[in-house]
Amino acid sequence: MKTLKEEFLEILSNYQGILFKVNRIYFRSEADREDNFQEIVYQLWKSFPDLQNRNSIGSWIYAVAINTSISRLKKESKIEYHDILPESSDTNDTVEKISLNENLSLLLNAIYKLNEIDKSIMLLYLEEKSYDEIAEILGITKSNVGVRINRAKEILKQNLKYLNHEN
Amino acid sequence: MKTNELQNIWKNIDSEINLKTNEELNQYLAAKTRKTINKFLLFIAIDIIVSVGLIVFLIITALNRQSDIIYLLNNSILCLITLSLLIISLLSWKKIQNNKYNLPLKDWLEQRIKLLSSWLSGKYSKLYIVLIPILLIMIMISIHVYFEYKLFIEVMKDEESIFGQIVGLIIGLIFSYSAVNKIRKFQIKNLEFLKDLHARLSTIQ
Repeated sequence: MKTLKEEFLEILSNYQGILFKVNRIYFRSEADREDNFQEIVYQLWKSFPDLQNRNSIGSWIYAVAINTSISRLKKESKIEYHDILPESSDTNDTVEKISLNENLSLLLNAIYKLNEIDKSIMLLYLEEKSYDEIAEILGITKSNVGVRINRAKEILKQNLKYLNHEN
Repeated sequence: MKTNELQNIWKNIDSEINLKTNEELNQYLAAKTRKTINKFLLFIAIDIIVSVGLIVFLIITALNRQSDIIYLLNNSILCLITLSLLIISLLSWKKIQNNKYNLPLKDWLEQRIKLLSSWLSGKYSKLYIVLIPILLIMIMISIHVYFEYKLFIEVMKDEESIFGQIVGLIIGLIFSYSAVNKIRKFQIKNLEFLKDLHARLSTIQ
């Protein structure tokens, strides 16, 4: 029979992609992502005994990962977002010169410009989560989810247009 | 760019994921747990050393001045306040550590806003304004009277002593209030950030 920790590590191993993606949209530097990854793992472990519904493990991991990331941003005052890009915005610093394909890199930079709430909404949308799941993770109504996704998509498209124009 | 195109682009991120082994994940958990426990122990150690140190000092000095009733009263009240503050600080620390992250984002934000608001504007949030000078005065008197080798009343009648106490009090107040102010400013900033996020989540624009 598996111990609680073994069961936790197995679940974590299967769902660790979520941690990576949440980290990716909230933190730009590798060091911050590494620290936050560790923090999310710890917070997941702390709340694992409270996890009642094993059918919604994904939602639980998204919720803990998003809440932990926002909490960390708050602590470290890395608040920086714009609903609409400022005219003088220098986007060069946001472009990470790593092996990402160009479109993904552009998309990530456009996501970085969103506010923290819209970031999580876009992530869940891009991950093709249902409105029900998004509502459960964010604690808002399904109709609100629809409105927010449309709004976030519009801002994201504006950001993409701007970044495309810059390039 | 169509929206389903965005989802297709996003799928490329899967190739970027550097999967960790169970052993590595276990190491992450162990390292973070160790770090948290060490932080907790450090906080507890400082809190207990300062409080217990003060309480021991108050007891020893009181035992040496058993005939000075006012001095004994001063030390007893100070002892009680110190004990209460020690318990409150330990309970507050526990409350902070019990931050439940496994809630929907909106509920989690509400929980944090409620907690921070009660600290910053709750019933006892302004108690520090009164408590700091009272504690400073009582601690200074306790130390000063003891090392003057005089009765409490006699020291209080001495102009030089009173002047020294006032100067010490002003310096102590400036230092204490600026430290508390700095912490409160940081908490207010956090609270505003959380309220802003909550508003963004609650209002449909």
